[in-house]
Amino acid sequence: MMRFYCIGFLVLLAFDTMEQTCFKYAGMVAAPLEFSSSWLEKVISCPWSYGALCGYLGSFATWMTLLRRAPIGPAFAASHLEIVTVTCLSAWIFHEPMTWHKILGGVLILLGVFCLAKAEHAVASKNAGTLDAQQA
Amino acid sequence: MTSLAFLLWLVNMSMDTFGHLSFKIAASRGGGLSTGAYWRQLLKHPWLWAGISCYVCEFFVWVAFLSQVPLGVGVMLGSFNIVLLMIAGRLLFKEMLTGWRIFGIVLITLGVILVGMGE
Repeated sequence: MMRFYCIGFLVLLAFDTMEQTCFKYAGMVAAPLEFSSSWLEKVISCPWSYGALCGYLGSFATWMTLLRRAPIGPAFAASHLEIVTVTCLSAWIFHEPMTWHKILGGVLILLGVFCLAKAEHAVASKNAGTLDAQQA
Repeated sequence: MTSLAFLLWLVNMSMDTFGHLSFKIAASRGGGLSTGAYWRQLLKHPWLWAGISCYVCEFFVWVAFLSQVPLGVGVMLGSFNIVLLMIAGRLLFKEMLTGWRIFGIVLITLGVILVGMGE
């Protein structure tokens, strides 16, 4: 079971990371940004957009499969680890600088996500408790 | 961050929240129906299509936004939709805001502000 979760979350993370990287490439290919139909055409005709779409559909399918068995709280938290993978990957591919603002801000966001995951877990077990009490 | 990037971020966040809420409204109708009937009535539901249209527009807005900011920053700023959805869920669907949820919302908001200020 543990293996199912680990592999599932790695697949989810891979799809999310691929999606965001493709989005960035699509934006770069279609640059400069202008509010015109020619910009929209550039985005639609660019293969990276379809990579992003595939990443989106892939992560949606993986997420739905995982949620059938994984508890929502930890699953929610794990699904936001893309912040870490995308930041590391973009430092490597796009040579984006690692600033203190980014590192500290990213840590705060992740801590916040973990708190929300904890909240979901608590709410879920509380609801399960009331249900048990009603049934008893 | 340029004002254009900020504007694109605002539009993206509003569309994302509106899209999610539309799906929630569409999905919460038709309880007690069989799976087939549930999906048939869901496909006819205007809110489902409102949500899908929102997502399609959002796709382009996100590409435009990422062309203006570094990818790592964009993804971090994008996580603010969690906060907006929690607040909208509270206002529209009377969802609970427990201590941990409020604490999480505050941390994410601070993180997003910090990342945004660095740009």
